[in-house]
Amino acid sequence: MQFFRKRYILLFFQLLISSVIFAQAKTARPGSFTLPPYTKFTLSNGLTVYLMEQHEVPVIHVSALFPAGAIQDEKKAGLASLTADALLFGTKSYTKSQIEEQMDFLGASVNTYAAQEYAAVQVSFMATHQDKVLPILKEIMVNPVFTEEEFVKKQKRLAVELDQQRESPREVIGTYFNSFLYGDHPYGNPLSGTKATVSALSVADAKDFYSTYYTPNGSAIALVGDFKTKDMRSKLEKLLKDWKKKENTAIKAKEVPLPLYQKNRVLLVNKDNATETTFYIGAPGISRNNPDYVAIQVINTVLGGRFTSWLNDELRVNSGLTYGARSSFTPLKTNGSFTISTFTKTATTTEAIDLALEVVNRLHSKGIDEETLSSAKNYIKGQFPPRFETSGDLASLLTSMFWYTFDESYINTFQQKVDELTTAKAKEIITRYFPKENLQFVLIGKASEIQDKVKKYGEITVKQITADEF
Amino acid sequence: MRITLVLLMLIGTRLLAQPKAADVKTFTLNNQMKIMVLEDHSIPNANMYLFWKVGSRNEYPGITGLSHFFEHMMFNGAKKYGPKMFDQTMEAKGGSNNAYTTENVTVYTDWFPSSSLETMFDLEADRIKDLNFDDKMIESERGVVLSERSTGLENSNFRLVHEMVKASAFMAHPYRWSVIGYESDIKNWSKADLQQYFKTYYAPNNCVAVIVGDVQTDNVLALAKKYFEPIPAQAPPRPVHTEEPPQNGEKRVFVQKDVTTPNVLVAYHVPQTQSDDYYALELLNTILSSGNSSRLYKELVDKKQLATEVFSYFPQSIDPNLFYIYAVSSKDTTSTELEQAIFTILDEVAEKGVTENEIQKAKNQKLMEFYQEMETINGKANNIGTYEIFFGDYKKLYEAPAQYNKVTAATIQEVAKKYFKKPNRTVGIIQKNVEQ
Repeated sequence: MQFFRKRYILLFFQLLISSVIFAQAKTARPGSFTLPPYTKFTLSNGLTVYLMEQHEVPVIHVSALFPAGAIQDEKKAGLASLTADALLFGTKSYTKSQIEEQMDFLGASVNTYAAQEYAAVQVSFMATHQDKVLPILKEIMVNPVFTEEEFVKKQKRLAVELDQQRESPREVIGTYFNSFLYGDHPYGNPLSGTKATVSALSVADAKDFYSTYYTPNGSAIALVGDFKTKDMRSKLEKLLKDWKKKENTAIKAKEVPLPLYQKNRVLLVNKDNATETTFYIGAPGISRNNPDYVAIQVINTVLGGRFTSWLNDELRVNSGLTYGARSSFTPLKTNGSFTISTFTKTATTTEAIDLALEVVNRLHSKGIDEETLSSAKNYIKGQFPPRFETSGDLASLLTSMFWYTFDESYINTFQQKVDELTTAKAKEIITRYFPKENLQFVLIGKASEIQDKVKKYGEITVKQITADEF
Repeated sequence: MRITLVLLMLIGTRLLAQPKAADVKTFTLNNQMKIMVLEDHSIPNANMYLFWKVGSRNEYPGITGLSHFFEHMMFNGAKKYGPKMFDQTMEAKGGSNNAYTTENVTVYTDWFPSSSLETMFDLEADRIKDLNFDDKMIESERGVVLSERSTGLENSNFRLVHEMVKASAFMAHPYRWSVIGYESDIKNWSKADLQQYFKTYYAPNNCVAVIVGDVQTDNVLALAKKYFEPIPAQAPPRPVHTEEPPQNGEKRVFVQKDVTTPNVLVAYHVPQTQSDDYYALELLNTILSSGNSSRLYKELVDKKQLATEVFSYFPQSIDPNLFYIYAVSSKDTTSTELEQAIFTILDEVAEKGVTENEIQKAKNQKLMEFYQEMETINGKANNIGTYEIFFGDYKKLYEAPAQYNKVTAATIQEVAKKYFKKPNRTVGIIQKNVEQ
């Protein structure tokens, strides 16, 4: 529900200021927004490298991406995620606490995580510290040792965290939804695993996973920030020259077909002490390389992608049923999902669901008029540049370009593609891509009060939020 | 300034070439509204942040949460732009917005392509001058805010325990209630309360407007004169004079909830942002919980494995407020063991102080945070406004390094000794069975 943090209560966003000097304003790029120039090359070990200079603040951001996401977990749910965490548990040259002490002392930060399809290492640091930080980054990527003691500590903590997450419906509903929608397809794998699967993992599993999937060939690294491209290129070539290519590691998502449901289905997750129902209504969506991706985003802006979107307008503004309602497409490499998400107090559960369905039906029956379309186009164009404002944003964009095989034309032709969308084309897009039947409902709430009422939406399955499964 | 030397060692001479305070242009309109402008042409976008000096500290029992509810009502229609039209007009012009309310301030944030600047002035001026309270909108907005309140409590244990600890730590000062307010007040305040609030607090003389981005300063000033200056000033609101009496004994509060493991929140009374101890406390906050090598994380989560997470929180504040430490127990750790471990760490700082290495680390971490804030036009706008409100003058931003540099191991030890005392603390605990 982060999109509509609209009018929220501020708790933690106090600013921490330590210096007095404002950063220098960059040169204006009047008119349309284009991606700053960058250099792309491949090292002899197969690693794809992107370098982009940005000199507004004396900082460098790194984003590295490996084909090591949860889709590779198979039966060992949580392995990709734990392996990514464990990259920081010590390397050949640094212990875990040396990495932490050194990085913290420099004011640098490092974050490693696995997503559904890939794993990432993200590092930020002051440009003057590059010769101290880059060798640590290299060790994390190339020489992790997976210390047993640290692995077991994390494993134990994770077992408690997995229970703690279940105290917050918002934390777990996405996992239930992916599992319900994708079934046995690897996109349905629960990213953090379950208590049972996580406790069965061993250091040997992580080492195997690492050596299979963390290979320079098939991976990419992007550096964006305050450096000279030529110097950084030779620095990286030297730094990573010993990282060996691995042959024949054909890595791809297992060829499991997506389940195709020919009916509405409901997963009701019972939470005894719930005072509200948190729900997703969804269906299969699109893959990231869909040629209509931009047009779909424009239409989704109208349905549930901004404050005045039809979903938020009906469920929040007109009826006061919720603090926020939205819809979104989550495109992945070979597939993706579409979801409507919101929450409402237990007593108004079906009222809110009915209203959401009514809005979707209206999109199909009435379509979008010229004025609404034009407003959505202006909105999506106007909000586009700030999404790529920081070096960190740009570094993530570059590794996304690598993973999803697109290039700067996505940025540079974005406005034009938005402008090209007509109401006639919009109608086609709606019919083709916006689901209105065979919907998959996931509801987390108090089953004793809503189970009978929500049966009407489809074939119902009931689970307990406290059970160790998704 | 000695800090210059430290910065030079850290990051070379580059900083010295950066713009100075003079790059922020400030103007005061005839109605005493303050306008601050910083040009930044890095993206074809700009923002407008309006800081209003009103928050939950200005409320009283019966209207708790009204500042926040009012913030919502600011989007629900005025004279020229009726209900829904503020958002519709802004979004059709490529803009988006948000707003937040704290104990101290209410802040409205507009983000837009710079070509839409004048529309933003028109929209803001309309609601500042002629806000309208539509009965239907008031009622649906009550539902929205009740949903916001309940979803916070449903999804966050911190929300729950934070509310309880504040209510206990403060007996007199309005910081005792949460920003969102009591459920019964949300259900019962009236249109007249809203009208009174509008007249009292939403006067131009109670506002600081910050505009940053791809704009021309002269143009911004001309628009401010055209749209904002005709709005009449009002008598300044009465000051909040209630002072919290000293706390002379530990307070404890328990909440029963079906949690996996106990949650512990410890809060100590500390002075306001404009006090001499602010910078030492802020560095101590960083030393305690910023990064995995910080004292609390390293000891509680990593070494002793008593907690699955921990953080400290020291909010900027107009009046004396609280310094918080929050931790969630690991499996088989009782709340007593966890809180004792927290006290041991705090006592150690009070008894032995911190190391030079830790102080330098904290300064480096803050410098990096600063750069990341200043990388965006929104970070810049928020910094300027926050300094203007909480430190009394945005130029204090330029004194901050010298202030941080004055902080020594001895001053950190002093503030730890002064504030981290048992009689000065409130402890809140959420657990399954409060009798345990």
